[in-house]
Amino acid sequence: MADLDAARRALEDALGPERVLSDPLALRLYARDASMVEGGCAFVVFPESADEIVACVRIAGEHGLPVVPRGSGTGLAGGSTPIGDALVVVTTKMTRVMEIRPEDRLAWVEPGVPNLDLARELAPLGFTFAPDPSSQQTSSIGGNVSTNAGGPHCLAYGVTSNHVLALDVVLSNGEVARLGAEGPEAAGFDLRGLLVGSEGTLGIVAAVCVRLTPLPPAMRTMLFDFASVEGCAGAVSRIIADGVVPAALEMMDQGIVVAAERFAHAGYPTDAAAILIVEVDGTAAAVAAQTEVVEAAAREHGAREVRVAADEAERALIWKGRKSAFGAVATIAPHYHLHDCVVPRTRLVEVLTGVYEIARRHELVVTNVFHAGDGNLHPLLSFDRSVQGTLERVLEASEEIVRLSIDAGGALSGEHGIGLEKRDFMPLVFSAEDLSAQACVRSAFDPDGRMNPMKVLPDGARCGDFAMARGSDAAAAAHDLPEGAWI
Amino acid sequence: MDLIHPASRADVVDAVRDANGSHRRLLAVGGRRHLDKGNPSKVDAELWTTQLDRVVSYEPAEMIAVVEAGMRVGDLNRILAEGGQEWPSDAPAGATVGGVIASGASSVRRLKVGALRDTVLQVEAVTGDGRLVRSGARTVKNVTGYDLHKAVAGSLGTLAVVVQLALKVRPLPRARRTLAFDGDPSLAAGLAASVPGAASVLARPNAVELHLEGWPEEVAEQGKIAGQIAHPAAEDEGGFPLERPWDESPVVAEVAVPPSQLDALISGERWGALAGVGLAWVGLESANGDLDALRERVRALGGIAPAIRGPGGLGSPPIPAPDVQRRLKEALDPNGVLAPGRGWDGL
Repeated sequence: MADLDAARRALEDALGPERVLSDPLALRLYARDASMVEGGCAFVVFPESADEIVACVRIAGEHGLPVVPRGSGTGLAGGSTPIGDALVVVTTKMTRVMEIRPEDRLAWVEPGVPNLDLARELAPLGFTFAPDPSSQQTSSIGGNVSTNAGGPHCLAYGVTSNHVLALDVVLSNGEVARLGAEGPEAAGFDLRGLLVGSEGTLGIVAAVCVRLTPLPPAMRTMLFDFASVEGCAGAVSRIIADGVVPAALEMMDQGIVVAAERFAHAGYPTDAAAILIVEVDGTAAAVAAQTEVVEAAAREHGAREVRVAADEAERALIWKGRKSAFGAVATIAPHYHLHDCVVPRTRLVEVLTGVYEIARRHELVVTNVFHAGDGNLHPLLSFDRSVQGTLERVLEASEEIVRLSIDAGGALSGEHGIGLEKRDFMPLVFSAEDLSAQACVRSAFDPDGRMNPMKVLPDGARCGDFAMARGSDAAAAAHDLPEGAWI
Repeated sequence: MDLIHPASRADVVDAVRDANGSHRRLLAVGGRRHLDKGNPSKVDAELWTTQLDRVVSYEPAEMIAVVEAGMRVGDLNRILAEGGQEWPSDAPAGATVGGVIASGASSVRRLKVGALRDTVLQVEAVTGDGRLVRSGARTVKNVTGYDLHKAVAGSLGTLAVVVQLALKVRPLPRARRTLAFDGDPSLAAGLAASVPGAASVLARPNAVELHLEGWPEEVAEQGKIAGQIAHPAAEDEGGFPLERPWDESPVVAEVAVPPSQLDALISGERWGALAGVGLAWVGLESANGDLDALRERVRALGGIAPAIRGPGGLGSPPIPAPDVQRRLKEALDPNGVLAPGRGWDGL
């Protein structure tokens, strides 16, 4: 049993008492992220430097506390939901953009910098940080790294991993390592590539060297309206097949269009079965050439109307509707459960039809918004948790949606991660040997299992043996699982 | 030297397990185009992947091709061209996909197409202890578990033998053009900064090549913008680069540094440097003094300069988190069967 009083004194000595919280309200606030999974913790700390993170990790090691890194808490898979006597290390006070070097196309930033703040700081210099998750006003760069965040523009520009050159990481033993390099290649195995998307289980990100992407000189945002979902999905496949990789290709079904319109007043056509937002960018000539192909593909598949953003204000309005969609569903019901499945682009319609059918059978309201270009669906189940039996129906439907996506050749998560929420689904997509090799990665970084334990890998995944160990360990661990986790 | 030439992934598993039992060391070999890269390593047998050369699945509308690791790059691009697409490795046609990825090779069009490791969406590989494992997924986006394929890419065959890969591919550009400029290579950085969406800007002694690709109107527009900066001495719509001055040298080092440092770093008559990227290929007569001197300058900038042709090995820069690297190697190849010592820091 950890001596919590001694741990508190050590933490307060290192950070000062005002940045070490352990009152019941704080512990409750930090007991969950934006997912439905609730846990618990012993302390919440707010380091302001890499050295302070090191001190926190060392103290946690000395007192046997698990360490749970956390950014802005917008995670949707329980990746930063703490368990047991955890020490939650919150990086939101580390918000400095330390260095911008346009000549090297890089910038060094602290992990707590909100994604959108970085983009705004880079824009006057003619650059951006390409990953733009819908949570970008709030979500931090450190959190983006941990979940290998995507966003609407990753179809053309790639995911976070493609935009992180190097990371300063506090490892589980308190050492600081620079993974990757400021140059294009680094010595050794690509530990940077392993850490991005590892959901805080391999170390705490103390600084990020991001790659700067030049802002395109021109762009055009178009909104198409379709009388059928099939027509909309057909247009998506056609656009890609015709050789255009739009900067963004976003689809919304009628349910979410109606909710988003009520909320954002973006002028969306609420009578459409589906709308498609397409953004193309590049030189003026490239934009014109792509626009022509996109419009032809959309019309061929039954687009009723084309709205082209006339100026930046209209573009912002079109995107506001899309990016606030998840907030807008609050007008449908008090709670929602957001999915994050990826399926081959060519099977979108089939999977979407299946999702509607699952929701109908469980008597749930489902709305869909998705990154159609990369097959990333976000079915959203709206419900009222206080109605008895509803949560159970949501969880059953959710599991069916996951299985449907996997059966269609998809992945468990496109951009939200596995966290606690989906770890028990991992054997659906990986063999025992696959998982044992993944456990090897984890134990290479964190041999004692201190960092964000119980996340990502299911119980029993062990490095070493070919077969997954099953038995007493797994049973004991399952006992500690927090409320809401799918077991 | 023994030769093992497996016909299936099951054969690869057997070969690696046998090697563990009989304490034999293996070097995975594809098209022999990237074998020089790596530290000296004594092995007992070569394991050829070249019979594993099937297309597993390719659907142009998905922009993903799943192929076995021994597929030749030239064959792959012929197949992709039928779907109007390409895998932008720019490697020799005889190189294998597995070899390009395992060796961490870069495209000359990296400015536009990015790092080739970023095109790897899923890998199936046989670990040094004979486990056939898969990581990633056949989707462009995926955050599902640990991306073992990231560690395998560039590991020089020291962690696992890659048997299959899912690759993100891209549309073939409708138009291509290379503009060559005479004069100071410092022009390269200016072109890279000023010509939006340039596919590559290669500086070489006394000249700069600007490669453009995309929609025909786009390439014309980019050419016009470049013309406002300098007047091209030649234009070509064929292959890129027009000249590879480093290519004839017995030793070629691949330098990787922050892009702004390239100009100050490089001298001599046989080199090419990718502006905006920070990669340069430097031709040398031998792996002796010149290479050491180059590495010393590169190391001061936090960069690396492995030899990709001839002797010279990887050099000995510090590797990040050496304990983590060592534990990873020991966990996946506990008996040191896969090319021991070939990797960075002798891993």
